[in-house]
Amino acid sequence: MRFILNMARREIRSSWRRLLFFFLCIGIGVGSIIALRSTIQNASHTVAGEARSLLTADVQVDSTRPWNPESLAAIERIARPPLVEAKTETIDAATMVRPADSSGEGATMVELKGIEPLFPLYGEFKLADGKSFDPALLDNGGAVVAPLLLERLQLRTGDHIKIGESTFQIRGVIDREPGSGGGFRLGPRVFIARTAVEATGLVGFGSRARRRVLLKVQEGALETVVQNLRAELKGQLVTVNSYKDAQENLSEQFARTENYLALTGLIVLVLGGIGVSSVTRVFIEQKRESIAVLKCIGGTGKQILAAYLAQVIALGLAGSLLGVALARCALIIAGHYFAQSLPPNMSYGLAPGAIVQGVGLGLLISILFSALPLLRVRHIKPNMLLRDEDESGGLKRRRPDLLRWLTGALVVLGLLLLSSWQAGSLRVGLFFLGGLAATASALYLAALLLVRLVRRIRHIRSFALRQAVSSLYRPGNQTHTIVMAVGLGAFVVMAIHSLQTNLLKEIDLARRTNLPNMFLIDIQPDQKQGVEKLIEAATGVRPELIPTVRARIFAINGREIDLEGREMRQERGRLGREYVVTYRPRLEANETIVAGKFWDAQSSNEPEVSIEEGMRGLAGLDVGSDITFDILGRKMTARVTSVRRVDWRNSRTGFMVLFRPGSLENAPQMLVAPINGPEGEPQRSRFQRELLDQYPNISVIDVAEVVSTVGRILNNVTLAVSFLGGFVLLCGVLILVGSIAMTKFQRIYEVAVLKTLGAKRKVLLVILFVEYGLLGMVAGLIGVLASLALSYAVTRFVFEIPWTFSPLVSFAGILLTVLLVTTVGVVSSWNVLTRKPLAILRA
Amino acid sequence: MIELYKVSKTVPSGTEKLTILHSLDLVIPDGQFVSVVGPSGSGKSTLLGLIAGLDAPTGGEILLDGEDITKMSEDALAELRSAKIGFVFQSFHLIPSLTALENILVPMEIAGRRDAMERARQLLKDIDLVARAHHYPSQLSGGEKQRIAIARAFANGPSIMLADEPTGNLDSTNGRHVFELMVEMNKRGGTTLVLVTHDHELAEQASRRIALRDGRVVNDSDHEKREPVQTEETIGVAAS
Repeated sequence: MRFILNMARREIRSSWRRLLFFFLCIGIGVGSIIALRSTIQNASHTVAGEARSLLTADVQVDSTRPWNPESLAAIERIARPPLVEAKTETIDAATMVRPADSSGEGATMVELKGIEPLFPLYGEFKLADGKSFDPALLDNGGAVVAPLLLERLQLRTGDHIKIGESTFQIRGVIDREPGSGGGFRLGPRVFIARTAVEATGLVGFGSRARRRVLLKVQEGALETVVQNLRAELKGQLVTVNSYKDAQENLSEQFARTENYLALTGLIVLVLGGIGVSSVTRVFIEQKRESIAVLKCIGGTGKQILAAYLAQVIALGLAGSLLGVALARCALIIAGHYFAQSLPPNMSYGLAPGAIVQGVGLGLLISILFSALPLLRVRHIKPNMLLRDEDESGGLKRRRPDLLRWLTGALVVLGLLLLSSWQAGSLRVGLFFLGGLAATASALYLAALLLVRLVRRIRHIRSFALRQAVSSLYRPGNQTHTIVMAVGLGAFVVMAIHSLQTNLLKEIDLARRTNLPNMFLIDIQPDQKQGVEKLIEAATGVRPELIPTVRARIFAINGREIDLEGREMRQERGRLGREYVVTYRPRLEANETIVAGKFWDAQSSNEPEVSIEEGMRGLAGLDVGSDITFDILGRKMTARVTSVRRVDWRNSRTGFMVLFRPGSLENAPQMLVAPINGPEGEPQRSRFQRELLDQYPNISVIDVAEVVSTVGRILNNVTLAVSFLGGFVLLCGVLILVGSIAMTKFQRIYEVAVLKTLGAKRKVLLVILFVEYGLLGMVAGLIGVLASLALSYAVTRFVFEIPWTFSPLVSFAGILLTVLLVTTVGVVSSWNVLTRKPLAILRA
Repeated sequence: MIELYKVSKTVPSGTEKLTILHSLDLVIPDGQFVSVVGPSGSGKSTLLGLIAGLDAPTGGEILLDGEDITKMSEDALAELRSAKIGFVFQSFHLIPSLTALENILVPMEIAGRRDAMERARQLLKDIDLVARAHHYPSQLSGGEKQRIAIARAFANGPSIMLADEPTGNLDSTNGRHVFELMVEMNKRGGTTLVLVTHDHELAEQASRRIALRDGRVVNDSDHEKREPVQTEETIGVAAS
């Protein structure tokens, strides 16, 4: 044991410089995993810890339609002291706001929230002037608004705004509002008194509004209250949530995000592992003589193996600890520069769990990837000291090495367990490892092919070219390692880039084509003609107004939907939601029938529906099923006669449920107008203003604004992922530099001999350029091809959007890889060229 | 005692087999100083490697102190070398990443000796290289390297010392110095010494002289003590 430790310690003394680059890779991989996990865990703790302030209550009862008296009575019965200490109601809806002053420009969509004096039951509500929110501000037509609204409509505190038919005075600007999770919003927030909402006359948003009863519950009574509420409100199409549920949901979401991001960190680590594997191989190769000597003076194979394994463990540990330091730095930087996109009050310390995981991973990856090359120690025969020739090669190959295969299998299993552990799922781990293995094998095969190919063409005229080519397959060459490391780096970076461009293109499509870029909703039937005229005047096109009816699924095939029931809970989102349905005699151009038969153009008294393919199979839905709809309290049963496929990308509007004309005409309905609004920001704003002045109940969703919001979110995500991609590339470069450093001793000797034989520096340079140029080309080509495959698969099968190929970008990717590899290669080998040959030859 | 019975060694060379040693019989009693001479390719180094268990013979038996080493596993052989055999090479084969002192320490550490450091320092004193203790092999001269190698070989107090042309890479002054050191340490420890050399002057100083040619013993100064029939028989078998 003492021999093993002493030997490891002494060897590290001389070898650490050569192994430095690879353990830097381990450090970067470990660092990115720890930093990512810590950040997300910290955010998760902060957010989940504030779940109560996010919900602004202990318990929330939530309804998307006006309260019916039964529900209210039920809540009233339970929500009493002492169990429930406080109760308040809110109403939320997206609606339009415009300046009250007729000379004021524009109009914009806002997220309106009507509150009562007790709001919020939990959480901080602060105004821009530093004071806390005072409910009295909302009395007699007061409003408190987000700064963005002032900016959009060029208003100031004290100005008046119109919502529907009511006028409100802006009395305060929000600095921090309770219950804002920083999620996606259709417009800036506006608070008014709940009682004032009715007065706006916006019955139109009646069913789009979300009404909530918020409760503050006595300590320890949470479960009882939630259970009682659920029991009492069964079948009422309302949901009851406690802050504990919210906490669990949030934690789960964060955990999932954490695991996916950690996988990117794992790629960096695996790259480091490939580096470790290659360095160990070359290292052992260079240590052959020392190992033979050790065997000669009595060291057993096991002892020597253990001594080298101890070195790997020590360096892996050092790399991992470096990773911890890197992660600490990364978090300090994140705290300085990205604080506004992260939750406030978040800590920027390292999470202990993440440190343990990161260091453990770093060690395990080091051991797993060095295991196979270390086994070579066993095959080094002490007899080589007596005779120079290498006789180990030919004799060994005949017998399959059981231990080697066993170790190989263990390594694969270990990697699978590691990636499954990191992904939090065996399936994802399997996919991850499979994808990585596929790319790595493609790169490995490409390198193999390259070596085979260049062996064939060794009779090139040019001496420099021939030398360059032969150095790709010299003994101990790093061709495979360089191609794999750089190729994987190029792969990740290019895949991210390609995905991003495709996604952005898809979103931008909304702007480029003639798809509607503005939706007018909540148009009353009697406003139809007036609105049509107004739109035609503004855009020059007569719009098509589509009737819509809001309906819920009450029962399928006679079976009532029980949202609390076990089997329904999973489908709650799809079964419990309110569907916006329409009726028309024909299919749209973007619709095709996939099952059943579409109706004739005539109306029919028998209710008939066509469902979108996504609904098929939901609680057994198919052609021939009966769906009982609840349309504002009225029940109507319709037969499913066909299933449609809707090409959502080319749709002006899309409907999951389509009725045959004849049965819905008399249901309470509202019209929607998908239009192409006027061009230019001021024109669009002015048009909305004009519309609202005449028809205050109408809401306008401006797609252009939504697209810019989504674009911003996407940019943040891309930035984060690109950052990681950059790490992957950095690792690739480090491995490249390391690989070159590893073979330097060989190269120095070779160059010295060539110089002695009269080679000029120019020739030597050409050799370097060609060698690394070839390596870079193969790595870049395969990396880019693999990235295209990945981005194609993800774009088509995950996002389900069309995929576009940009040859210029791919070409640039390959070119950049070639440039990078050549530059790094030539620069790292520079001192080889400048050394004087005599000293090297003498040594 | 070293005993070799009908030991042969054949290696594949291209498509044909090359016989390096022909059914060789040899007995070296404890404490004897034997020199082995012969032209290049006569099988001297192979013989030495076989005795040290660095390589396995194609046929025959090799007994060290009555124990057949041809049946031993790699690890058992390593342990045997650690306990009984010292080896000195023509090209020194010091471990380049270790200092002079550490190179001497290693075999004792492998053997798990508690007094390793003490003894290593004593050995350094014996070979008169205390000043070089913390130098790396690349900082030492050839003669110094070989002296360190000799100290390393004697570190565990082996009963058998095998030296493969230890002076071959040294000038005559250094060569003589190294040779004398080896003989002296050999005497002090009562060790069996088998010395392969090209240098006839050195070979003459051995108590027994064996000459090899083409894998056969062509001359043995102890010849008279051995039964001639056996030798003739050996040659006869090899010739047939």
